[in-house]
Amino acid sequence: MMAPFFKFGLFGDEASLVVAFVIGIGFGFFLERAGFASARKLVSQFYLNDLAVFKVMFTAIVTAMLGVTYLSWMGVLDLSQVYLVPTFVVPQIVGGLVLGAGFVIGGYCPGTSAVSIATGKLDGLLFALGLLGGTLAFAELLPHIQGFFSMTSIGTTTIPVYFNLPYGLVVFAVVLMALGGFYGAGLIERAFAKRA
Amino acid sequence: MTELVLTRHNAMIDPLLHAWGWEIPVYLFLGGLIGGTMMITGYILLKGRHRENSCVCSVLPLVGLALLSVGMLALFLDLEHKLYVWRLYTTFQFSSPMSWGAWILLLVYPALAVAWLVRLPAFLRVGQVGRLADALAESPRAIWAIGYVNLALGGMLGIYTGVLLSSLGSRPFWNSALLGVLFLLSGLSAAAAFVHMIAWDRTERELLARADNIFISLELVTLMLFLTGLLTSGASHQAAAALVLGGPFTAVFWVGVVGLGLVIPLVLQSLAVTHRTLHSAIVPVMVIAGSLVLRFVFVYAGQYSHWL
Amino acid sequence: MTVRTDTADVLAAPVADDHAAVREAAPYTNPYLAGIGLGLVLLAAFVIMGRGLGASGAFKAFTAWATNLVAPGYAHSRTFLADYLSDPTTSPLNDWLVFEVVGVFAGGLISALLARRVRLGVEKGPRVTTGVRLLLAFGGGALSAVGAAIARGCTSGQALTGGALLNLGSWIFMLSVFAGAYGLAYFVRGEWR
Repeated sequence: MMAPFFKFGLFGDEASLVVAFVIGIGFGFFLERAGFASARKLVSQFYLNDLAVFKVMFTAIVTAMLGVTYLSWMGVLDLSQVYLVPTFVVPQIVGGLVLGAGFVIGGYCPGTSAVSIATGKLDGLLFALGLLGGTLAFAELLPHIQGFFSMTSIGTTTIPVYFNLPYGLVVFAVVLMALGGFYGAGLIERAFAKRA
Repeated sequence: MTELVLTRHNAMIDPLLHAWGWEIPVYLFLGGLIGGTMMITGYILLKGRHRENSCVCSVLPLVGLALLSVGMLALFLDLEHKLYVWRLYTTFQFSSPMSWGAWILLLVYPALAVAWLVRLPAFLRVGQVGRLADALAESPRAIWAIGYVNLALGGMLGIYTGVLLSSLGSRPFWNSALLGVLFLLSGLSAAAAFVHMIAWDRTERELLARADNIFISLELVTLMLFLTGLLTSGASHQAAAALVLGGPFTAVFWVGVVGLGLVIPLVLQSLAVTHRTLHSAIVPVMVIAGSLVLRFVFVYAGQYSHWL
Repeated sequence: MTVRTDTADVLAAPVADDHAAVREAAPYTNPYLAGIGLGLVLLAAFVIMGRGLGASGAFKAFTAWATNLVAPGYAHSRTFLADYLSDPTTSPLNDWLVFEVVGVFAGGLISALLARRVRLGVEKGPRVTTGVRLLLAFGGGALSAVGAAIARGCTSGQALTGGALLNLGSWIFMLSVFAGAYGLAYFVRGEWR
């Protein structure tokens, strides 16, 4: 075991911020390459004539998931040291619905709005300002919804752990699902292309 | 900590560990930028480019004058005894960088003003001033003299902003003669970026973008030499270098100065001058901002560093 | 300052008109290739840092910092913001996600300049005015911030990162995002087409 490097003390907190910057450059670069600085390109996903959001997102998930799986099987990466966001079932369903609504109304999500600003989109800038406003509003709202905010907490868990399935089987299922999805995405795009 | 309290917690030894706020880095940045502006103006005059209609030299000295006034104001705000400012001009102390600076700044005003006269806008070319401006523009020897004075004074101003820090021996982080060169190069690259941004003539813009690439490259080399110098020196200097190599100024130095201010602009501008990407006004802004952040990191980290 | 004839090109000044061929934006990268690139960046974050990517956390830290600058008493009274202000010796901006998002800006700029895609403008459908579009962008941003706050992460921090780690909550969140967006898409179609 030698990774995650940071967790094994290869470099300190300050150096980790420089790493953050370099990783961010890669993140922003590929988001822009994929066309995710454009709100019209992003929301086309929801009008079914361009499913690039689905394709990019699931290719990235499958790539990183396979990498993590193999590296941990080879004994290079200690998966238990990788941070997992705790699961809160109902808040994450509601939060997802609200963010999805914000996505199709605003045209971006938080990460893609940063890229869109870098390419000169004014609506991306307004979206980012909206993020700041929404954060302030939520800070005001939180004391009143504290019960809802922390309900149905089941801690940090993964699909294989929660459903008691072999890790490799879930990975295989996700890969199959993604491949099926990519095939279906092509069919859907052709069906809806005329209406674009 | 115990040692600090026992031996140094005494207003007579360390009256103020952190005496300089935002004024000094802003002033050092503006000083460097003006120095670079003067050197570019001087170069343009010596090359005879001021005769070209589209020359940015018609506004550059005026910009320098405006920035100089802002910088002097920042410097004045930093003074403890503001009403004693005139006393700087009653003496000249050869061994004091402050005295050098005070006099250089006083000479910079007329030098910039005369450089501006060469390409004075037509609506101001009236009366006595207009005749003087015409006479200057017609005389090759006057142009030659103005060019050299601006080149020399600009260089002195740029170097002085670094020497001001490096002469303060009590701060190991500043204890390097390379600071003068580093700040001069940083000022030159910020000035070249500024001209690159505002020049409306394509040849001029490309020329300054190319020059800026050279300045940025030299600045990167100087920065690395500066760090090497500290690391191969005594324990106090190594501890000072550690402030940007894992210490509390690491992230802002490598991200704000090296990444956003030097390396990324260098890559993008190199591609732009070879016509593989478009010129963008954002890149020069990044260079200028990086130059400002450099002064902040150096002034703050320097005040943080101390003899062990 | 300078006078440029093409107002859309303030950010990316054309070299000259005889370089018209150079000015055309390059097509986007194949989505599968871009996805593999993105996945490798995510994998690098796991291996080097032991954490994934994110975005909404950076905006949260920035809000905490800005609020603390203007109204420190208020910022400290709201737990959601005060979490970032507990250590007075360091700035809320000294945060991993803040530096990562600064990198996202830089990376987006590099990619867009290389592909000649930097243009000042507003993304919208033909049937909506710029003012309405900007208003909706602001509202959408505010909704996204609330959604991300409730769900403890956004499309990057939850869906992408947690998706690759098979995090249960992240998959629940991801399906909800698509459900919410598809559910509302019909009603806001006037904004986009």
